[in-house]
Amino acid sequence: MTVGMRDLLFLVCAVVLAGCYSMRGSEGGGQTAYVPPRQVNVSDIALPAGYRIEPVVTGLTFPTAVTFDESGRPFVLEAGYSYGELWTAPRLLRVEPEGQLSVVVTGGANGPWTGVVFHDGNFYIAEGGELEGGRILRITPGGKIQVVIENLPSLGDHHTNGPVVGPDGWLYFGQGTATNSGVVGEDNAAFGWLKRQAKFHDTPCRDIQLAGENFMSGNPLAPDTTEKVTTGAFSAFGTPTAKGQVIHGTVPCNGAVMRVPLLGGKPELVAWGFRNPFGLAFSPNGQLYVTDNSYDVRGSRPVFGTGDLLWRVQAGAWYGWPEFHGSLPLDKGNRFMPPGKTTPTRLLAEHPSTPPEPVAVFDVHSSSNGFDFSTHKGFGHVGQAFVAQFGDMAPGVGKVLAPVGFKIVRVDTATGVIEDFAVNKGKINGPASWLHTGGLERPVSARFSPSGETLYVVDFGVMVVTDKPLPQKQTGVLWRISKDPGPASR
Amino acid sequence: MANFKRPWPGIEVTVPVAAAMSLLLSILMLVSGCGSARRTEPIAGPMSVAAGDLTQGRKLFMKTCDQCHPRGEAGLAPALNNKPLPAFAIKFQVRHGLGAMPSFSKDDINDQELEEIIRYLQALRQHQ
Repeated sequence: MTVGMRDLLFLVCAVVLAGCYSMRGSEGGGQTAYVPPRQVNVSDIALPAGYRIEPVVTGLTFPTAVTFDESGRPFVLEAGYSYGELWTAPRLLRVEPEGQLSVVVTGGANGPWTGVVFHDGNFYIAEGGELEGGRILRITPGGKIQVVIENLPSLGDHHTNGPVVGPDGWLYFGQGTATNSGVVGEDNAAFGWLKRQAKFHDTPCRDIQLAGENFMSGNPLAPDTTEKVTTGAFSAFGTPTAKGQVIHGTVPCNGAVMRVPLLGGKPELVAWGFRNPFGLAFSPNGQLYVTDNSYDVRGSRPVFGTGDLLWRVQAGAWYGWPEFHGSLPLDKGNRFMPPGKTTPTRLLAEHPSTPPEPVAVFDVHSSSNGFDFSTHKGFGHVGQAFVAQFGDMAPGVGKVLAPVGFKIVRVDTATGVIEDFAVNKGKINGPASWLHTGGLERPVSARFSPSGETLYVVDFGVMVVTDKPLPQKQTGVLWRISKDPGPASR
Repeated sequence: MANFKRPWPGIEVTVPVAAAMSLLLSILMLVSGCGSARRTEPIAGPMSVAAGDLTQGRKLFMKTCDQCHPRGEAGLAPALNNKPLPAFAIKFQVRHGLGAMPSFSKDDINDQELEEIIRYLQALRQHQ
């Protein structure tokens, strides 16, 4: 009996490649044992030749963003909330010349504070709103907190993000979705919010018509753990939907970029169909870009193999959530089918439009977040986007074969080519706690100083992941990357 | 598959031979997989894509492969940089998809594009 070359190849590939995935356990960067204190050692970080990195501040608790006042002094934001449902006080901190910290303002229990920008004497903060709904806050020069906009739909998985000030003088911000892929399920109880907000669900920005697809799941809200419920898209947990049912859109909404006047007022829709538009930045020529965290393999409608995206934002466009990844429909072949499960079924009777092509596709589960554009020839790579990758939260978001993210990458927005820029040394990529070194942990935001000569990297700190995230207080670091002046000028 | 050349002329590919070859290749790949897959600029220095006309291959790799094999390293999927898979095996894997990897049809990646991707991947593999 003989076998053909095709059979032989199949056998070889099946053993070598297929076996690799199905037979191996998850190796996420958070799947490690962490022993405090966090080590900080710049020699454990690799950069392209000619650059250097140094810690500016250590010991931060869940830092998420950095901004600069008119004199170029850095201010760092602490979130006050982390996945894993750990609550602390959100704070805006001024970084003094010697690295000491002064508290500018402390917020309440409505984190996470996800982003901050300084503009015309005031700070503008995106308050994630896990308990009371999202807000954009203005912090006056005297440290007074004023509300620019509130009651944003942030009670779910993802929050209010940004903000940035556009060339038009409006404040642009992102609003994440309540769920992974449009259907409230048991995974949302694991996040923590479903038991607090049993009626919360995604709200579209425009009217949509449903295909009537419903999903059966266990009921974590019921005393009987065997009870089953049926839930449809864009609906409260346990609420089925019908074919042709119309869900009315409204603004503010989920999965959107919106804008509001600096003095407050009614928000306007910029674009929708995002999942979690976390990072927002205007390019040197005034074009708005966003990073968008893609689907996870979790919940009632898990989606496999979708890398985070960098989008060029076109006014009024629909970017595909919860039906597409980039410009590819989720029900296309087996592309997005989790191993051992079924292809995600279509939720909408009609799609609002075909989504645009993304600018770049990041690593699956990398959590590609805050970013900024290089504008200074002295730093280099002018016009490219420098993106902080928080890193995977496997196995909760899905299995990975090696840690993903935990670094700074740069993106050529003309070609979509991604290059590593700041990574931890080692045979394999991973966070410092996984590698047992003193390098980067979970970069969550990157922003250039006003001069453009220095890139500040906000490192959230250690987050171990077991059956849930276990974020570690006082492990955050603010890093600074600049061109190395060389031995002659030192 | 029709265009594949027989890589081992004179060897009759029987089931025991196929199994032995599979085992040998598996061991080879597992052993070679022990080498680091890291090839990016901070680790291995800049890689010139203009010299070998790899620009298009890199762009296509970024669009279709990089999200699961970031820069050829392991991520969602196994590393590619440290495994000596020959071109025909890569083509087979891409066209048929195995395990968790989906298949890519000629509508997704045409033959010319697949050649460009493989050329870039092979150059990336050598860059260290």
